[in-house]
Order: sequence, then structure tokens, then C-alpha cells
Amino acid sequence: MSLIDFSKSEITFKVVYYGPAMSGKTTNLSWIFRTIPEKVKGQFTSIATETERTLFFDFLPVELGTVKGFKIRLSLYTVPGQELYKLTRKSVLKSVDGIVFVADSNRDRREDNIKNLADMFKNLEDYELPDTPIIYQLNKRDTPAIMSVGELVDDLQLKGKTVYLGIANSGVSVMECLKGITRQVVSKI
Amino acid sequence: MEGQLSSLVITKEDIETIDELFSQYLVDSQAKDIILLNKSGELLAKSGAVTRESAIAVSALAAGVFSATNELAKLLGEREFTLTFHQGKETNIHISLVDPLILLAVIFDNKAPIGAIRFWAKKISGSIKPVLEKMATGPRQEPSQDFRKGLQDEIDNLF
Repeated sequence: MSLIDFSKSEITFKVVYYGPAMSGKTTNLSWIFRTIPEKVKGQFTSIATETERTLFFDFLPVELGTVKGFKIRLSLYTVPGQELYKLTRKSVLKSVDGIVFVADSNRDRREDNIKNLADMFKNLEDYELPDTPIIYQLNKRDTPAIMSVGELVDDLQLKGKTVYLGIANSGVSVMECLKGITRQVVSKI
Repeated sequence: MEGQLSSLVITKEDIETIDELFSQYLVDSQAKDIILLNKSGELLAKSGAVTRESAIAVSALAAGVFSATNELAKLLGEREFTLTFHQGKETNIHISLVDPLILLAVIFDNKAPIGAIRFWAKKISGSIKPVLEKMATGPRQEPSQDFRKGLQDEIDNLF
């Protein structure tokens, strides 16, 4: 649910990075945090377990700049990917404006991608948000034993969807995904 | 099904009314901070010494805590828990549901007894409710077609 605040001339959108465990959602956010200028980013809040896996969510508010006299702000969230945190994932998705689905290209994560994507669509259905803009990042393209892009597109039924090939830990396609989803959420206002 | 609005619009007048109410309650209740947020974790208004940056993070976390608590409620056969309270050594936070989409977080220091915290949170909620109803039902100030188009055209310049 975008927030249009006429008193501060601000529009805030909620963007959630969704995907299976260890697919690189937090890595995307960390890269954005490291890359964007100090004055436009807020506190990076992360609720992680002792093993640095996301327990609840990561949160990063970003101020993109001013368009037509309105400040455009994004609230970026990640969800915990592990199966155990199914309900937490659902709660973070509440009132979402746009989603970056981060898939793991490794062949042994095939089932996790499919399962996690189905779980996301089920949650969107429960929240009556079937038209939420979604873009897809096929991440970890630099690791051995990855699936081909064609296989992933078939598996996740991404034909005709916006797909980016990512290596989030070195920033490949991270900002492009952010830009892509921002364009889409803004078009829905 | 758990339907949602596509956007929440706040006008200058709404915020002025809320700010005025909060400033008065801050004095009366001796709360440290009062924060109004929506269930998706966006900060709507704040009063007190808390910085905007911190209030934004508090809002995201408070909404998260509230949402998680409600999943807990469902598991226990409750439809919803309407408030959650955290007590610390120095500071307490009381988060409560004001209307189906809006939450109120009131932060107190440890001098305030729990009864007083609950009393004031309820009182502030009651006062803010008509303003929120007006926000939901009043004529909505929407961005114009021109504005939407301009936004689309210029968004690339931000990256």
C-alpha cells in the first residue's frame, strides 16, 4: 500500500525481496546499502539469528530523490527464506507494492525456488494482491552447477516476465532490479 | 481473504490535526514519544524526541512485531490481538490497533506504571480515531494524471 503524504510531499512504496533461503536477498539489500550515498539511506535494520540467517526481516529505507516536487521513498524489506518461517514471510508481505523475487540458480535449489514462488503467490492471493508488480532476479550466476536460464524460466514460468541475471555479492543487476521494480510500482500509483 | 487498500493518502490538514493532538498528549501523559504507523510499517506521524530516522525504523519493527503477534493469535484460535506491550529496564513500548489499518506506538520511560500506559494509549487511540475515519471516508486528494505521467518519465533520472 503506497503512502502518499501531501503534508511532507512524499510518496513511500514498500518493496519486498522474496525468495528461498540463502538465495541472496539480504546480499541485494547490503549491496544497495553500500552503494547508495550516505544522505539518502536510512538505518539498515536486520534481525538475524546467530548464524546470520535472516530471522524476521531486513529493513532499509531509501530516499531516491524528488520527482515533480515529491520525494520518492522506498521501504525495502527481505523475508526469511527458510521453510520454518512461512508465517513470518507472509506477515512481511502485508501491503506490499512490489516484489523482487530472488531465485537461486544452483541446480540443487530447484525445488526450493518452485516451492517458494508458489508460497509467494499463495500469500498474495490471501492478501488479495494478485496484480502486485514482480520482477525476477536469477541470482548466483557465477557459481558452478547452475541451471540454464531457459530451465529456470520454464521451471518458474517466467516467459514474458521481467528477468535479470544476477551476481548479487558483486552487485551484478542489483541496482537494475531496484530500478526495474521502482518503475513498476510507480506506474501503479 | 485479507483485502487491502492500494494507497493511503494523508493531507496536510490531517497531519496538522494529528500533530496537535499528539503534542498535547505528550505533555499530559508524560510519554517520551508517540508514533502513528500503518500495518505495513510506514511512519505516518510522530511526536517527541525520537528522530525521524529512528521513528521510521521503529515503525517497520513495530508493524512486524504486531503482525507476527497476530499470526500467533490465529494459531491460538484468536482472530486478532489488539495490543502488544514490551517492558524494558528504562523504556516501555505499547503498540495498539487504532483502526483496521493503523497502529499507535507509545513509548514511556520506566517511571510510568503499566496501568497509566494502558490508560493513555487508549485515550490517545480514542482521540485519533475520528481523524483516521475522516482520512478514510473524506474526499481523497489524489495525484493528477499529469503528475503520474511526469513521475513515470522522470523516475529514471533518480538512478
